Amino acid sequence: MGTTAARYLQQLDTGRRPDLPAATSGTVRLDARVDGCTDHWYLTIADQHVRVTRSADDADLVVRADTAVLDGLARGETHVATALLRNDLTVRGNVQLLMLLRRIFPGPAGARHPRELGRAALAGRDGRS
Amino acid sequence: MSRERVHVIAGNAFAISDAQGDMEDAPDTPVGLFSFDTRFLSHWVLSIDGEGLNVLSRDDMTYFETRFFLVPGTASHYVDADVSVIRHRSINDSFNERITMLNHSSKPADLTVRMDMGNDFADLADLADAAEGRGPRPAAQVTADSARGQLVLRYQRERFVRETTVTSTAPSDVDERGMTFRIRIEPEGKWETDLHITMTIRGEGARDLRNDLESHRNHVRGGMREDLGAWLARAPQLVAERDGLEETYRGSLADLAALRYTPLAYNAQVPVGGLPWTMALCGRDSIITCLQTIAFTPELTPATLRMLALLQGGQLDDVHDEEPGKILAQLRYGESAAFGDRPDGLYYGAADTTPLFVVLLDEYERWSGDTALIRELAHPARMALDWIDEYGDLTGDGYLRYQRRNERHGVINQCWKNSPDAIADAQGREPPFPRATCELQGYAYDAKLRGARLAREFWGDPAYADRLEREAAELKDRFNRDFWLPEREYYALALGPYGDPVDALSSNIGHLLWSGIVADDRAEAVAEHLVGPRLFSGWGVRTFASGQRPYNPVGSHLGAVWPSDNGLIAAGLRHYRFDAHAARIAAGIFDMAQTLGGAVPEVIAGYERSLTKYPVQLPSAGRPQSWSSGALLMLLGTMLGLRPTGDNLLVNPALPNGFGRVELLDIPGRWGRTDAYAGDRSSSSRSRPRLR
Repeated sequence: MGTTAARYLQQLDTGRRPDLPAATSGTVRLDARVDGCTDHWYLTIADQHVRVTRSADDADLVVRADTAVLDGLARGETHVATALLRNDLTVRGNVQLLMLLRRIFPGPAGARHPRELGRAALAGRDGRS
Repeated sequence: MSRERVHVIAGNAFAISDAQGDMEDAPDTPVGLFSFDTRFLSHWVLSIDGEGLNVLSRDDMTYFETRFFLVPGTASHYVDADVSVIRHRSINDSFNERITMLNHSSKPADLTVRMDMGNDFADLADLADAAEGRGPRPAAQVTADSARGQLVLRYQRERFVRETTVTSTAPSDVDERGMTFRIRIEPEGKWETDLHITMTIRGEGARDLRNDLESHRNHVRGGMREDLGAWLARAPQLVAERDGLEETYRGSLADLAALRYTPLAYNAQVPVGGLPWTMALCGRDSIITCLQTIAFTPELTPATLRMLALLQGGQLDDVHDEEPGKILAQLRYGESAAFGDRPDGLYYGAADTTPLFVVLLDEYERWSGDTALIRELAHPARMALDWIDEYGDLTGDGYLRYQRRNERHGVINQCWKNSPDAIADAQGREPPFPRATCELQGYAYDAKLRGARLAREFWGDPAYADRLEREAAELKDRFNRDFWLPEREYYALALGPYGDPVDALSSNIGHLLWSGIVADDRAEAVAEHLVGPRLFSGWGVRTFASGQRPYNPVGSHLGAVWPSDNGLIAAGLRHYRFDAHAARIAAGIFDMAQTLGGAVPEVIAGYERSLTKYPVQLPSAGRPQSWSSGALLMLLGTMLGLRPTGDNLLVNPALPNGFGRVELLDIPGRWGRTDAYAGDRSSSSRSRPRLR
């Protein structure tokens, strides 16, 4: 269950994304393969904003994968770097842009903030005493 | 088979063999040919007429090239062979071995030359961690092609493909276990073949992944000898009176050259940790190496900073112990990383790398004047500074702490003393988590002060600078209140989660001097402890002082001596003007390095020098290691008292006795190139009459 890459990208927040490096800009094309067809998603990244369009134009970085792999990215289940290592995802062009996908797509669901562990440790002592 | 190991290195590609040049898989030692954390050859054994070879001598020409001179037959008292063999191997992205056979007799020699070959495509991380065990893996497929004179070994798991291709220039009979050459060598004649091994990481359309990466296409290999020559020529030249010091210096520079690699998806060389287990980018090792070498090989630093910024944490992720803004602990490319068996593809379990990233960025600007880099990396640097308080302060008491969220594979102690039992009190009790080790507070303090300078001078944000300075001052006050053990006159190794001090005396207090968080009126007590009998072994400062229950001279972080640790400690002592203390440490480490010869090991045992007379090496200690080789350079810089001030290099030497004259010429920096001259007390007294 959960979202798909298509839905995630269609609904992507068009506002400022303070976690994207201000100095980084470029274009990334995601080629999603399914049943012999390819869907193209074209991401234009500049000034901490991401604009998503549908285009097969050439981009600074072209990322190809099965739709299922990209859906995994959109759900935070797949790490873009390990997908590359597994060859589930292939790249052409300026690969330095690849890690931006780590910030554009969500992290894993249910991840804990480190402070939760700190709070649990302090609560553990209070419970003990 | 002898215990001796011979290696050739080119970045993260390396081959380890025995003294004959043969590679035979052995437990606990990563023997074979490796690249990108994968073994591409585990068996590589040469025989002639069914017999092994006996080594006469060896020429380690450079770090990437070795020649073995051999004769047939196993060791005997008297070797009188008619045939001799030269194996000349070299490594870059691929591996090459030229086998030359010489017939010294007046009759033709008819020989059967055999090279046995095989591979398991093991992940280096699995070899390092044999206790973990592994599930069943697919077997390698072998294709022998005599017509093309090639043997292909291929490993596939889903789309993950690694391939070793061995070709021979001389005709051979190829079978699934190697190549056989039936040859005749004329009297006084010779025969030779080049065995070439390519190591392929399959990417799209069965091409090598690396060919798809623009950065790798642009990266022209070749000319490695020229590259090494240029690397050495760019570094300052050392002229030293002390015997062997110049050789040790050049050896360290060459080790650092060997341990550079170009990561996938990158266009510049960064340091790997070291041979054999950490031939990968490790955030801590690479940052420390850069800090050690800025005065000598500054080109490592911008490449490392940019790479670490690129891989800066972007999400909360328990498996990878990742948080936004955190700087990487380790980057690996092996099978276990790819399939998530281990989190080390991109692993962030380190609490020190993030503040040290900021420290390195500031330090680099002080030396280079490269303000463009400071502006380029403003965003990652601010994210790193924000991380310290937002994600690093786990209990809200203002201290930088760690506790792993990946409880299966995560690193337990996320500081430089990363062995599982490293953080313990004098009685051996280990504190609960989250833990705040003392040196982390020093790094955070230093990062805030340096971040403030960057914000004020380059980012045009004085309000942010004021805030960081205020936080740093508060941290220093708090730290000196909570970590100081007044009755023992040193800082606690750590605080547990409830603020309870871990009372061990450890080398970590030396890092506090380096970071400047030590109150001035306490520095002397700290300095005295560092060179006192409990911490100082005679070769260097022990990680953990003797006389405490967990102390163990062969325990990596519970008594052994690390050159990298000592480099930072000596620099810290000089910050606080304990010049004689610093000189003692520098002298001990240089004595150790020169006594052992060759690359400086990562760590030596903490035995008393007067007891063993010789530095005792630990079997687990790798060499070369970038931050050990770098430590010698840092110690040299510390003895010379090199410090950039404005646009000039300040030189304020304090040499140990016995070093005589030392000159370091053409030190690079914002001043262009400049020289530093120094002499110990004996040389200055000798030179005084000449000055009059």
